[in-house]
Amino acid sequence: MLDYTVFHTIAWPSAYSVYFFVIGIAAALFFLSALSWYRAEFKPLRASAFYVSFVLLAVGGLLLISDLSQPARFLSMINPAYLNFDSPLAWGSLNLVSFGLVSVLYFVMMNKGDEINSRRLAVIGSLLALGLPVYTGFDLTVHQHRPVWNTPLMPVLFVALSLVSGAAVASFLAKGDAKLLATLRSFMLWSAGAVAAMLVSLLGTTAYGGSAQELTFMIMTSGSMGLAFIWLGLILGTAAPIGLLLAPVGRQPIGVLAAGALILIGGMALRYAILVGPQLVHTAY
Amino acid sequence: MSEELRLSSRETRGKPGVKRYAMVIDVRRCIGCMACQVACKAEYDVPLGVFRTWVPYRVVGTYPTVKKQFLPRLCNHCDDPPCVRACPVGATFKVEDGGFVLQNYERCIGCKACMASCPYNARFMLPEHRTTSKITSVVDKCTFCYHRVSQGLVPACVQTCIGRARVFGDLNDPNSEVSQLVARHATQVLRPEEGTKPHVFYIGGDRNLTEYGRALYGKSDYLDGERAMFDRNHKI
Repeated sequence: MLDYTVFHTIAWPSAYSVYFFVIGIAAALFFLSALSWYRAEFKPLRASAFYVSFVLLAVGGLLLISDLSQPARFLSMINPAYLNFDSPLAWGSLNLVSFGLVSVLYFVMMNKGDEINSRRLAVIGSLLALGLPVYTGFDLTVHQHRPVWNTPLMPVLFVALSLVSGAAVASFLAKGDAKLLATLRSFMLWSAGAVAAMLVSLLGTTAYGGSAQELTFMIMTSGSMGLAFIWLGLILGTAAPIGLLLAPVGRQPIGVLAAGALILIGGMALRYAILVGPQLVHTAY
Repeated sequence: MSEELRLSSRETRGKPGVKRYAMVIDVRRCIGCMACQVACKAEYDVPLGVFRTWVPYRVVGTYPTVKKQFLPRLCNHCDDPPCVRACPVGATFKVEDGGFVLQNYERCIGCKACMASCPYNARFMLPEHRTTSKITSVVDKCTFCYHRVSQGLVPACVQTCIGRARVFGDLNDPNSEVSQLVARHATQVLRPEEGTKPHVFYIGGDRNLTEYGRALYGKSDYLDGERAMFDRNHKI
């Protein structure tokens, strides 16, 4: 431990966690809209979930571009002459652009009433949507010296976070449809359960890691990230909604909506803590 | 380095026909004058608040027998640099003959993936406005003074070091001073566990200087002054 070193900033500030949040929701909402072609109870979500997904995709894209210190060079991210396929960001940018294009085509086919092509695009778009949380997870995983990030859990955790946050937003779009809300309740319950299991596992491996891991564990539990990670993310945003959904009130629309609101608070807090927390210990190295 | 330790095709240490520059820093010789830091700032017009090389320290001992232990730092010009594979647009690259890890400023988009991937905090974002240079709002780092070395000079920090604590040369040449220092002395590299194969070697380094310490936890005001100054000059 040094007594004096120069100040080092964190590489990725909290704005990236907002991007992770909106892009995760956009992906899950597209998936729910796509599901409406195959499962009748999702039909009320077909248009509304897609529109919100598309708006969030645009917001996410703009956030990503504005976070670059050279935003005018964002097209380099899809320039085949420049792309470095060793970087998950290169795959992610292609995935993002492909998802945007498929979303536009899906919109056209859906409005034309072309069911066959809409169904095809729904499947292709859902696979690309799955790629969004997967690549954001890999963005973090590949940095081998970062505690928490450098675990195989990250891509899977981001998929679960995407699903739980997307289902939470969808519950507000369901307009009280009892059958749909019951299905979304199951989505939220299982994906929040998966998030909780992964977070507990993550905490365990981080606590018993090397010195950087141990310090990060301390920062994320009782340190400056404790409020966001433990209280807002794990307790209020994951454990409380699971408890609420399991309680009798959780089977009623009001319970599902309340759980959805908590999940959204927790989803944002978790992404923020997971993004920023593991960078803090390194600022003093 | 033996062939079986070479994991990545990017690694050039021990590769015939190419140079592999490295720096050896004998911390026993460092007096903490910061001349290296100043020479680097002058060579590159490095802006306020950021550093290509810096000299952190730790105070050890009990009064009145106390001393400062210095650990000069810079980019480690890793043989398998994580920043090169992290950059989505190939703006960071490794020069095969020499092992320099360099930055293409015209191509950098400022995504900061290289900064996130560097285990040594060697990279920083240049501010939006600079007095003399037009290179702004891209990531920068130490170049091992590529422009000087390619003309047969040593890096500015090595040239200026009053105690000859910094020695620079080709590690692939067994007769070079750095090769002989690495062969004859017990050396240490920073964070070897990351597999980056750093090419800044320390003689006389203390692990208390190179490892994270528990004192970091709870220092909420840690470097608040520096942070405030950095925030004034940078928008990240």
